[in-house]
Amino acid sequence: MSEAVALGQVHSVGTRRGTQREYETVMILRPNVNKPMILELVRKIEGVFKSHGARLLKIENWGLRTLAYPVKRNKTGIYMYWQFIGGSEIVREFERNLSITDSVIRYYTVKIDDDVDPTARPSEITEDLLDAVSEPPPEPEPEPEPAAEEATEGESTGEEQAEAPAEATENTADKKEEAK
Amino acid sequence: MSDDRPNRRNRASMLANDKTLVIDYKNPQLLKAFLTDRGKIVPSRISGVNARQQRNITRAIKRARMLALLPYTVQ
Repeated sequence: MSEAVALGQVHSVGTRRGTQREYETVMILRPNVNKPMILELVRKIEGVFKSHGARLLKIENWGLRTLAYPVKRNKTGIYMYWQFIGGSEIVREFERNLSITDSVIRYYTVKIDDDVDPTARPSEITEDLLDAVSEPPPEPEPEPEPAAEEATEGESTGEEQAEAPAEATENTADKKEEAK
Repeated sequence: MSDDRPNRRNRASMLANDKTLVIDYKNPQLLKAFLTDRGKIVPSRISGVNARQQRNITRAIKRARMLALLPYTVQ
């Protein structure tokens, strides 16, 4: 473990020694990727993590979602969420690998935490989980439809929420005028 | 001249006063409440959130836009 940490060092004066940074990445995959492709990507990235002294903490598949705007001509995409800890180089190397992977159309990494003790964070990753995560959202027919419905429902509720408070503020303004 | 603007102190906040509520770019449903129907970010003067919340909301919306969770514009 100690050598892995040495490998995944954070090169920053302000950082406590022996700690790493925690990051999260959301990526969008093409809607037509199949399970072996995702599994291959996950394995490849795992290799990258290992060789750079980083560790995958959490991985989630959010399934097929409708994109708010087309990305590389795709109107839907499979969202994947990764959480990992590592040193200074890991994000660049991770994103470099994503950029050369055709199935990944968009990725975004955010630093969640500084000064993380790498030994203190348990990893939830098991073979079964990796396998489950690689499950692409159902073959064309069965589930994309409910997913699409959810998305449209979500939009409509969002708009209602946006409108309601605006009305509320208007009402209060009216009341104030009356008070005057 | 009378000032018809709503009193800053009396604005109703769109956010419930819930300290546990985390503004997160991964929660587009929440952030949608702070977009106009054209997809613009609602000013805090309208939504009534405080400055810190507005910064967090703005940051989250911009992140969510990059991930196509929220639109940049709505036609």
